[in-house]
Amino acid sequence: MKRTVDVNIPLGPVHPCFKEPVRLKCETRGERVIGVEVELGYMKKGIERIMKGRPWQEVMFLAERVCGICSVIHNMVFIEAIERISGIDVPKRAAFLRVIANELDRMQSHLLANFSYCYTIEHETLAMYLLDVRELVMDELERLTGARVTCAYIIPGGVRCDIRAEDQATLRISLDRIESDLHRYAKMFETGPMIALRSKGIGILTQESARRSHAVGPTARGSGINVDMRTLHPTYQQLGFVPVVRKDCDNHARIMVRFDELFASIRIIRQCLDTLQKGIIRGGGICKAGEIRYSGEAPRGELTYTIKTDEFGRITDIQIQTPSIMNIEACCHEMIVGVDSIADVTSTFVSADPCIACTER
Amino acid sequence: MSGWLYEQDLMVQKYHILIATRHDRILRTIASDVGIGVQELRKTLIERLDMILLENLPARYEAAIAADQKGDDLVALALGRYIFSTGIPLVRESRMDEILRTTKERLDRGTPRPEAIAAGKALIREAILQ
Amino acid sequence: MSILQNVKDLVRSRSIHVSYVDVGSCNGCDIEVLACLAPRYDIEQYGIYVHNNPREADVLLVVGAFTPGWEEKLKGLWNKIPEPKAAIAIGNCPISGCVFDRRGSYVDPPVAKHIPIAAEVPGCPPRPTEILQAILSIRDSVFAEWEVKRK
Ligand code: SF4
Repeated sequence: MKRTVDVNIPLGPVHPCFKEPVRLKCETRGERVIGVEVELGYMKKGIERIMKGRPWQEVMFLAERVCGICSVIHNMVFIEAIERISGIDVPKRAAFLRVIANELDRMQSHLLANFSYCYTIEHETLAMYLLDVRELVMDELERLTGARVTCAYIIPGGVRCDIRAEDQATLRISLDRIESDLHRYAKMFETGPMIALRSKGIGILTQESARRSHAVGPTARGSGINVDMRTLHPTYQQLGFVPVVRKDCDNHARIMVRFDELFASIRIIRQCLDTLQKGIIRGGGICKAGEIRYSGEAPRGELTYTIKTDEFGRITDIQIQTPSIMNIEACCHEMIVGVDSIADVTSTFVSADPCIACTER
Repeated sequence: MSGWLYEQDLMVQKYHILIATRHDRILRTIASDVGIGVQELRKTLIERLDMILLENLPARYEAAIAADQKGDDLVALALGRYIFSTGIPLVRESRMDEILRTTKERLDRGTPRPEAIAAGKALIREAILQ
Repeated sequence: MSILQNVKDLVRSRSIHVSYVDVGSCNGCDIEVLACLAPRYDIEQYGIYVHNNPREADVLLVVGAFTPGWEEKLKGLWNKIPEPKAAIAIGNCPISGCVFDRRGSYVDPPVAKHIPIAAEVPGCPPRPTEILQAILSIRDSVFAEWEVKRK
């Protein structure tokens, strides 16, 4: 479609604000952005093509490397899909340990997202505070799983290693510290007048357009849509999980949803530690043939694996639908369109927490 | 549209997106639905839509079907109104409304239902290919 | 060696500008590079500044296996960096392709085929401290006495 535009401004692929290569071609009239075209293709690795025909033992590690930021949830959704196909049960203790690992991963991902946003609006102090808290979370993740990123903690029928009593104690102490720090930072963000100028009322994503582009995760929950795949997960149901929803639809709401979810995650981990029963952490079973579509809640939203396996446990067909695909689409075609200046394009883009690696796989 | 500073041919990259399992399945459904060849539909999609929209095709398709089913307009459901106008923006919304109106008029005039729907689909096909 | 050269070496050793480019990674190495910024590792205490602008960078951190989208762009990016310069490959991906270098994938590792790589940090992903150490260790071999060596 031809339109009258004043200037076309391409941003990227290498840009100080973007952590990953993506090219946004903004069409502007005056200062106002009237349209954005996204150019991808800098990260297309073809993971799904590699996965086909390989046994689950290999695909498990490949699934983790779809996205390094939220590697635990990719691991978890893939393994749980395999378990659903083959009817493998998970011991109680392992199920709770999975939730702990998953929530720690969500915390570090949300902290990273909020760090990037604060860094993009040039509030470096808050950004560095958040990055410092993230290191505490990474420590706990490492103590639990044995690695900072790509830890392959979750395996069919359970988890790889147990949590010791002294580690539980340190985890609780760290959580207390993280919580008290975060309270301060969340308040700084919520009440900061300069931050409000850069983020309130900017990047509006209405509920209707969020529905149309199928936005998920904090992006949708910041627009008042109550979707969270965790409410369908049996372990979370036991814990009585309630999603966090805000109704302001702007950048500020999205970041505040993430802050609120951080506190929710801390609560969930505490609950898990309280209810953790003694017992085995790994059961057994045989991977069978079948087909399933299974979703889980990644830090960025709903993550769907469509898997088909054969009787030897090999993956014959797989399609991964990652949350960033929908969120970036919603961001670029709905949120950014109409922002008042080019300076807001980057911050709006980052507020949707884009992850190009899993968008293109 | 004015020209870009440096431009890469994105044809191959876009094609790689469209041959993924779920995209391919949905593409074939749409193609047989409106009666366009698969390659031709791919070419149209590649020319008209940008890359993130192509990646998002399955999710948008599902959201559009849900929107279609929520309304109680059976003709719109049969024609896939939201699929082609908002879900996969290939037909302009005003044009889509026009097609819908013509089809309904035909039905009112007493044309049998399958025939009227087929005629509507033919109009959509035309709108997509033009 | 002249006094001027000494001064240049001293200044250069405390002011390294780093730019990073992601040529198709899983993001794992990406966030570990980012974690170097954290107050715990505090990359700036060594005089290293991370910002993503190749035109004023000295060191380019390359992350990721090589995807076709970068075919024409990475060379151009490398040429934009002023001399003296060095590229460091972070993680297994740019070195060997890691898990992605299989039949059917689109990647084309190693990155050394496309631009000269001065140092490699293996790991999937390497720890932030290792990345930091790599940058610090190539500092002297690449930047010290650069004018003398060039002659
Ligand atoms: S080396 Fe490993 S962690 Fe780093 S980008 Fe490659 S796959 Fe990801």
